Amino acid sequence: MVKYLAKLGKLSFTDEELVKAVKDMTSIIEIMDTIKEIDITYDPLKDNHNVYLKDLRKDEAMGSLPTDKLLMNATNSENCFVVPKVVE
Amino acid sequence: MPVSDYIPVIGLEIHSELLTKSKVFCTCSAEFGGDKNSRCCPVCSGLPGTLPIINQTAVEYAVKAGYALGCSINKFSVFDRKNYFYPDLPKAYQISQLNLPLCINGTVPIDYEENGEKKHKEIRINRIHLEEDAGKLIHDDLNGVSLADYNRCGIPLIEIVTEPDLSSPEEARTLVEKISLLLQYAGVSDCKMEQGSIRCDVNISLMKPTDKEFGTRAEIKNLNSLKSIYRTVEYEIKRQARLLDRGEKIVQETRRFDDNKGETRTMRTKEDAHDYKYFPDPDIRQVNFTDEDLSRIRNSLPEMPYERLEKYTGKLSIPEKEARIIVNNKRLSDLFEDALKCYNNPKSLVNFIIGEIMRRMNLGEIDIEKPMFTAELMAKLVEMSDTEKVTKSDAKEIFREMAEKGGDPEDIAKREGMIIENDTGKVLEVIDSVIAGNEKAVNQYKSGDVKVFGFLMGQCSKALRGAATPKVIKEELEKKLKSLT
Amino acid sequence: MDVTSLSVKELRAGLDKKEFSSPEITAAYLDRIKKIDGSLESYITVTEEEALTAANEAQKKIDSGDVSPLSGIPLAIKDNICTDGVKTTCASKMLENFIPPYNATAMEKLNAQGIVMLGKTSMDEFAMGGSTQTSAFKKTKNPYDLTRVPGGSSGGSAAAVGARLCAAALGSDTGGSIRQPASFCGVTGLKPTYGRVSRYGLVAFASSLDQIGPIANTAEDCGIILNAVCGYDYHDGTSENRPEEDFTAKVGMSMKGVKIAIPAEFYAEGIDEDVRKAVLAAADSYKAMGAELVDVSMPSLKYAVAAYYLIASAEASSNLSRYDGIKYGHRSDITGDYNELITASRSEGFGDEVKRRILLGNYALCSGYYDAYYGKAMALKQKIREEYNEIFGKCDIILTPTAPGVAYGVNENIHDPKKMYQADICTVTVNIASLPAISTTCGYDGKGMPIGMSLIGKMWDEATIIGAASAFEQGFERVPANI
Repeated sequence: MVKYLAKLGKLSFTDEELVKAVKDMTSIIEIMDTIKEIDITYDPLKDNHNVYLKDLRKDEAMGSLPTDKLLMNATNSENCFVVPKVVE
Repeated sequence: MPVSDYIPVIGLEIHSELLTKSKVFCTCSAEFGGDKNSRCCPVCSGLPGTLPIINQTAVEYAVKAGYALGCSINKFSVFDRKNYFYPDLPKAYQISQLNLPLCINGTVPIDYEENGEKKHKEIRINRIHLEEDAGKLIHDDLNGVSLADYNRCGIPLIEIVTEPDLSSPEEARTLVEKISLLLQYAGVSDCKMEQGSIRCDVNISLMKPTDKEFGTRAEIKNLNSLKSIYRTVEYEIKRQARLLDRGEKIVQETRRFDDNKGETRTMRTKEDAHDYKYFPDPDIRQVNFTDEDLSRIRNSLPEMPYERLEKYTGKLSIPEKEARIIVNNKRLSDLFEDALKCYNNPKSLVNFIIGEIMRRMNLGEIDIEKPMFTAELMAKLVEMSDTEKVTKSDAKEIFREMAEKGGDPEDIAKREGMIIENDTGKVLEVIDSVIAGNEKAVNQYKSGDVKVFGFLMGQCSKALRGAATPKVIKEELEKKLKSLT
Repeated sequence: MDVTSLSVKELRAGLDKKEFSSPEITAAYLDRIKKIDGSLESYITVTEEEALTAANEAQKKIDSGDVSPLSGIPLAIKDNICTDGVKTTCASKMLENFIPPYNATAMEKLNAQGIVMLGKTSMDEFAMGGSTQTSAFKKTKNPYDLTRVPGGSSGGSAAAVGARLCAAALGSDTGGSIRQPASFCGVTGLKPTYGRVSRYGLVAFASSLDQIGPIANTAEDCGIILNAVCGYDYHDGTSENRPEEDFTAKVGMSMKGVKIAIPAEFYAEGIDEDVRKAVLAAADSYKAMGAELVDVSMPSLKYAVAAYYLIASAEASSNLSRYDGIKYGHRSDITGDYNELITASRSEGFGDEVKRRILLGNYALCSGYYDAYYGKAMALKQKIREEYNEIFGKCDIILTPTAPGVAYGVNENIHDPKKMYQADICTVTVNIASLPAISTTCGYDGKGMPIGMSLIGKMWDEATIIGAASAFEQGFERVPANI
């Protein structure tokens, strides 16, 4: 399970780290399991903040960030972010 | 079992970009193209600390699309995060909608011909939801890397999900064509397949007539032309039928269509399918609609293609075949409507549009997205031709210039001396001189040899050099000759 | 006079009366930082040059009579609030060199008032923790005892205020991250109502719970800073458009007739005796001031920690997915395909606690588990809100301990995540219910460590809890940290 969760989060663990992670997660999930005893369901309508269509942002295009500022924290080339080959 | 004995069960997911000015969750321009990474801001490039701000028009357009496709609208709609890692998705989640999409339960009727037979079918729409587009990857094979351009990140996208009501390549192709026409008419999307502003995923399974349940389906992603949709469905039906015939199982998987080879290939199987961990996006408040909002949007829907078709074949008495040709291209239909306001002769305008404009479109002389001429001037030209202010063949000449560089047909005709003036004084002058110069022929006519009228007529026409119509010349010449006898 | 021991209000008065100048007080703080922060480790980045420039600018404005409440006041900013051109690390190796190209809205608002930013303060990595010991850079200590933690996650901000290394600071609070360190460091911290302060530019931990707020020497100072940073923001769709108000308006208010709720569950088993006694003594002093104490109950409190961790971690797992080393942040040196590179970058860049939260968040959201965990937690969130509504139906404010105990040793707790999570019991429900709450010091234990109490207010009613906290502070003698 922890391996699957790690894969979902794009994390890798050494064998040693994994042992510790499993131990930690087991004890954390013990706390989480306390909510299993209560039987209630979520109602999205109760979380309605009454935002209506008229409250939404008007469709106006404004300036963008200069490309060099956008890329200033990245490995970049030809005004693009450099990504290694994607294997699907 | 022959292919034709299986029942194909096909559903589509159609993605279409909306024509808003700004992106769906930030204020960057939503225009197509631009220099690489020039239309990005901290929000759409996923910088830490940034938040999405939803675009009113994008929501409105999605609802409008819903009405165009006969949907009901959820008066309370929720945005969710669809989580997955891919380098074209800077936040590593796409803002989309899962349980409470904007539109649900629509219907789109399709009319098509299959095996020479006219068919009609109603395709149910499961839902339409609003989401954001991803960026683009440019593959640099030389360096073995990809370059990410985020300009397209955050362009508003609607995803239209159909029920699995389709059963042939022709139906699939027709539905996509029909939906893109409806979206264009609604004014929410330009549906330019070549720019990727409408794309399609296809789900296909096969079942035997005796089966109670659908078979295992394959999903073919990212088809971007009507032709590839048709070919994909055709290929996939054959592929699955072949496997089933051999007693093999269909694997639930995502496949990709190879346009060059005309076949589909495995992209990923169910085992490594994504777990998208959908959950409501805490950064975006749920959107509510009042009844007034919804009726306003519904009423803002312009005349739709089926309404125009009805009008053309009814009130305007245009034959159905021609009417369909015009209606099926929104630009042409708009051109026709606008021209009609200037010159109320539907038949003549339709003939001109089909005979002249479409011909030149096919030759590549006219880009109907950006024509050089206006509907008004086009109407003027057709009227000039109809009222014989210019000859039919001159009208074509004039239009060639209008299509190429624009201009007023009257100015062009004047410049080229193509105007038929029908100035009676001038005509009589010419007739007088022709009669004076052809005494012999005139006498022949007087003595009852009416055959020479043609000769005299020809002499007059030649001297007038197109300044009068044959009808006028004929009338005046006849009058004159009669007065001599 | 030692200017560093003055409150923001007093500094304002002194600046306006020209008793001292902004460059002078700025220099005094920078001096103390140089002397003390080597051992306290509250700042990740000290922006000395920029601070002196800003102080000179501010002074010019003050001299010309163009004065805002925070003109020329030296403040510290938690390192998860984006500052244009100044490193914002979130105390993570992942963002070690990240320089935001924009300012958080709260930062813009402070700059508009002409504050002097002294630097960026340490915190638990990505605000995940209650000790500041998960910081990848500065494991801040408690100004009252350098062998103890300052609390967290805004431990750097609270310690800097407690040690007088800034006049006040901004922190952020997702489950207690302003109030608990304020309590540990003997200062005052305010978590505003969700939506009161724009989150734009606050590096997200849990979007539905995060809120920026002040840590200061007094409740009134918290009000002054909240006045500056609050307000609807175009860039944050969850910020709310509220009528303008002065959050210090109720400072000096009478406690007569104010109904204070004492929810039994917050004083039950697991709360240290010293803490219970001190907070109940504070309740008595409110009573002496004329307030009415009302016994109430919050039956769902026992599920609160689980609900909080499930919601917060679920959101965090999604919010933290953007850190892949491609656009910004730590990029691993390994050669490999996209998947291998981002997995390595994330594994190298994130610390253990952040990884645990990602695992927990994925657990709460992944298919097959969603309804049992995330769905249930969201339902509990609604239930806890209802229980608060019920209490506020009959009371004006709620009084609770801020933390079950005082600051603990730097090596305690942090190796036992279960114990660490349960320590958040007193604070998390406030975030779950979007309420405002303020923590102020109400006593000291036998070893002189500060004990904090929290006043929880109704939605949008920061003014009352600031007023009530201030009423207590005026009759309470604080013992400043001897550092």
